[in-house]
Amino acid sequence: MSDVLLVMEEIDKSFPGVRALDQARFELRAGEVHALIGENGAGKSTLMKVLAGVYSKDGGRIIYQGKEVDIPNPRVAQDLGISMIHQELNLMPHLTLAQNVFVGREPRQGVRFMLDEKQLNAQTQALFDSMRLRLDPRTRVANLTVATQQMVEIAKALSFNSKILIMDEPTAALTEAEIEELFRIIRELRAKGVGIVYISHRLEELKQISDRITVMRDGRYVGTEDAAAIPIERIISMMVGRTIYESAPEVPEHPSEEIVLEARNLNRGNVIRDVSFKLKKGEILGFAGLMGAGRTEVARAVFGADPLDSGEIYVHGKKANIKHPRDAVRYGIGYLSEDRKRYGLAVGLDVEANIVLAAFEKFLGKLGVVNSNKTRETGKYYVETLAIKTPSIQQRVKNLSGGNQQKVVIGKWLTADTDVLIFDEPTRGIDVGAKSEIYHLLNQLTQEGKSIIMISSELPEILRMSHRIMVMCEGRITGELTAAEATQERIMTYATQRRVLMAENGASGDPGVQEV
Amino acid sequence: MKSRHLLMAASLLVVLAMLVGCATPAATPAAPAASSGEQPAASSGEQPAAQTAARPFIPVISKGFQHQFWQAVKQGAEDAAKQYDVDITFEGPATEAEVDKQIEMLQAALAKNPQAICFAALDSQAAIPLLKEAQSKGIPVVGFDSGVDSDIPVATASTDNSAAAALAADKMAELIGGSGKVAVMVHDQTSRTGIDRRDGFVNRIKEAYPDIEIVNIDYGGGDHLKSTELAKAVIQANPDLKGYFGANEGSAIGVVNAVSELGMAGKLVVIGFDAGKLQKDAVRSGLMAGAITQNPVGIGFKCVEAAVKAIKGEAVEPVIDTGFYWYDASNMDESQFGPLLYD
Amino acid sequence: MTTTENTTTTTPAKRSIFRSEAAQKLLAFGALIVIFVFFSLASPFFLTKDNVIGILLATAVNGVLALGVTFVIITAGIDLSVGTVMTLAAMTTAVSIAVWHLPIPLGILVGLLTGMLAGAINGVVIARMKIPPFVATLGMMMIARGLALVIPAAIFGSVRPVYFSDSPLFGQIMMGSVIGALIPNLPVPNAVLILFGAALVAAFLLAKTVFGRYTVAIGSNEEATRLSGINVANWKTMVYAVGGLFSGLAGVMIASRLNSAQPGLGAGYELDAIAAVVIGGTSLSGGEGTILGTLIGAFIISTLTNGLRILGVPQEWQFVITGVIVILAVYLDILRRRAR
Repeated sequence: MSDVLLVMEEIDKSFPGVRALDQARFELRAGEVHALIGENGAGKSTLMKVLAGVYSKDGGRIIYQGKEVDIPNPRVAQDLGISMIHQELNLMPHLTLAQNVFVGREPRQGVRFMLDEKQLNAQTQALFDSMRLRLDPRTRVANLTVATQQMVEIAKALSFNSKILIMDEPTAALTEAEIEELFRIIRELRAKGVGIVYISHRLEELKQISDRITVMRDGRYVGTEDAAAIPIERIISMMVGRTIYESAPEVPEHPSEEIVLEARNLNRGNVIRDVSFKLKKGEILGFAGLMGAGRTEVARAVFGADPLDSGEIYVHGKKANIKHPRDAVRYGIGYLSEDRKRYGLAVGLDVEANIVLAAFEKFLGKLGVVNSNKTRETGKYYVETLAIKTPSIQQRVKNLSGGNQQKVVIGKWLTADTDVLIFDEPTRGIDVGAKSEIYHLLNQLTQEGKSIIMISSELPEILRMSHRIMVMCEGRITGELTAAEATQERIMTYATQRRVLMAENGASGDPGVQEV
Repeated sequence: MKSRHLLMAASLLVVLAMLVGCATPAATPAAPAASSGEQPAASSGEQPAAQTAARPFIPVISKGFQHQFWQAVKQGAEDAAKQYDVDITFEGPATEAEVDKQIEMLQAALAKNPQAICFAALDSQAAIPLLKEAQSKGIPVVGFDSGVDSDIPVATASTDNSAAAALAADKMAELIGGSGKVAVMVHDQTSRTGIDRRDGFVNRIKEAYPDIEIVNIDYGGGDHLKSTELAKAVIQANPDLKGYFGANEGSAIGVVNAVSELGMAGKLVVIGFDAGKLQKDAVRSGLMAGAITQNPVGIGFKCVEAAVKAIKGEAVEPVIDTGFYWYDASNMDESQFGPLLYD
Repeated sequence: MTTTENTTTTTPAKRSIFRSEAAQKLLAFGALIVIFVFFSLASPFFLTKDNVIGILLATAVNGVLALGVTFVIITAGIDLSVGTVMTLAAMTTAVSIAVWHLPIPLGILVGLLTGMLAGAINGVVIARMKIPPFVATLGMMMIARGLALVIPAAIFGSVRPVYFSDSPLFGQIMMGSVIGALIPNLPVPNAVLILFGAALVAAFLLAKTVFGRYTVAIGSNEEATRLSGINVANWKTMVYAVGGLFSGLAGVMIASRLNSAQPGLGAGYELDAIAAVVIGGTSLSGGEGTILGTLIGAFIISTLTNGLRILGVPQEWQFVITGVIVILAVYLDILRRRAR
């Protein structure tokens, strides 16, 4: 255990405008799982990318197995026995599993440049067998689910016989069962003496799997602790560098009775079935349910992004004809997608441009020329009021952390004068500190009279924030709870209220309210 | 990383500098000795100002420069420049589609305050405003080749393409015995020469030879390979085809290739237009019955000559026919064709 | 691991030498058959031995150009310079053989190397200097076009074609017929053999070699390929060099076919080549493409040209029809993907 495999010290790394690593350090022993945590933008991934040869460091030393090494590119890292599973999936979708796993190390035959496909598939099969993965090496990656792709990435990393394995958020896309399997593999590797670096936001998970925890903040090293001994609250305060009020539920102010948005009997194929709900002014209406319950589908339908088969939508009591997102925007409805990078932001543009994007007409002068003074003012205004952490409003959005990106999206919809905001998983991929800021912001918005629909898979979040909670299962609304009534158990009861079960219960009255 | 990119950019600049270094001598008076050597000063546009003041300056703007034909026109123009002791420049766009490039050249030429301009318009309409400007400045414009479709030019030195193609039609009729199917391969359907040669041939056949049927008119862009493939398809589709007229060098060579590849040599009368080595070889070997040649050297010479006369205020013929000739295996080696049948 | 068990039902990729999905091949091949049947019914002159051989021959130059472009497009790149690089290679071959009187094989080698060098320069400019492929190869397109004019101008004092007057054998490379010598009834010109030979080599390169594997990998996910420790810049340079090599071969072929190097030729050829690749089902967004598809795409273009000529359809319409087919081919491909 005490066998030190790797020491990184005084590592510096800067990107244009950002000091990503500032005298960072890290230590890894053979046969340990070492969790590396910190808020988004703390520099965890950057530090590990330096180790994996993706980035070259500006300064500092990497001492590996007692010798100082230079790792200029991924190839060198691989040759040293250091492999990294990146947060973004890094597979070639058009190639087969076997071709992906051994890309760059293909077995050859005859002349050096000819591939030995048989040998390649056999090697991959053997590797999968050893991991108890039942996959055909000749399957194309494009045909696999994200979770399976993740397992293939792990298989690829293992195939290097690595002494150090870095996993950046490996469980983000995995189910519970898959996570168990991953942990089993991690424990096996640990037993074989492999040093594992484990980056994750799921703090509970870390306590389960890791031996030690190193915390980073703002590109700097904060501290290293024994995982078994340290309480989660302590980890959080190390991460954010300040105490934050976790778990104390916000007492929801009772909103007015004015209905701003009403949906009546919405239907779309199998995914939305007879969904009706009302949203009051100044209210946060939580939408709970399991993955695939149809919450996002309802949100997209209300926003006009997907067509409805039947059903009516009323805005401020008047029937609204929403066929397209731009209709929804005209009615004052904004949708903040789960996948910010794909649907919510033009990540290549700067903060200012993103904020004014949805309401561009407001900034056009008489001749159709953009009034750049006005856009700049608006950009600055929201950067200040929403406390967006950015060096300037000219910063490109892709360089911001997840929480700050979310704030930019909020700023964008506020600029567009929306008074109904639909948040789809507003805190996904956002670290603890930024989460509480987002919560704060949501409450602030309701106090200003905005109404919010919040879709979330995190029950504590739903319970803490919502005035009322709609629970969905298999496309229908299975229950409605007030903040006072709601408990995790009740929500889960409704969320698993499948059609079959309802029939068995004789669909008598209100099955979900009974205690489980 | 950064320094490596800088290095690369720097080396690119060095290469560029070297290229320019290699290229420039060709344009300075040192080079002509290496090439033709006959007109040391004529082809260079960048003459010292003193010289320009002393000698009349006449820019010649053609429709191209790559083609053999234009090279021959250039030679004629340079001959005239030498004889009349004037300075000329000779330039033209890379392809005959680049109307805009040619207009830019005309504009640049006007800006140099020439004494006269020789111009072969790709698109007459597009050039009119600039030609009017020339007219208002008192700069005489001489058209050549396809000329300029307007009354501004004081003279136009050109081949009568219509009449030349009609001669081809007469020869075709004579060689196939006055009846049967023939096809036409033209370089394009929009240029003056393309239209005139096509119509000249077609109209003459219709008027004078009712027993001859024109089955196909195709446009191969003057591209040898494309013309070959087109002609092959036409010959395949018309087994009883008796004759084929190619309206410029590329078109004619395409037809010749098609005939020889299909093993139809001798079974099909091929008539070409213009010269060039391949066409001359084809005529010599009998693959081609004969061809019409223009007088490109004459066109170049006459237009510069007319420009010189106009500068001096002498009278010039409004239409200067530079002539065209029929050549075949029997007469092509006669001396009169020497300068006309360029390689 | 419930999910992973489910995936055992997925179909493995095909293992033929042309490695691709059967569907796309069937689609393009089906289209070719339909076109053939249509023209055969519409004209008695279409389905004759001579005409079919003519179509094969007419595919040769564009087909070889398209083979090279296929590799480039699979990496999600583009090569606009193939047409004029072909012309330049034709010119260097002609100068080597007709002016310097080098032996024919050496002259051919000069042509091939010219193409490869131009391609390699494209590759370096794209992979090292990070110039987008569109811009880099657009530049090379102009450079090659200029050089093809400069070379004869420097040698003869004026821009003019170079003829293979003293080397009658050179023309036999394309137009001679090895098959005809063996089977007198089947005078298929060598050009067709060269095309199929080049296609076999290309298919082998793409499916069976490290080079082909990395070509697909780069097009599929360039960053992932880099992170897998593969020197993407080097392999990309090689891809463009191989593309250039095929242009060089096309240059030798067109010079042999025309028995001369025509300096003004070549503009527009790149678009026909790209059209063939696209009709053949290669995705412009990279990662996907087959040699067989490209070959079929090239045949579709030359068959259309030939058939419409034989029917006497006005030539203006031929462009319109080819354009519609290009768009249709890509649209069908999109539909197929969506259905998956």
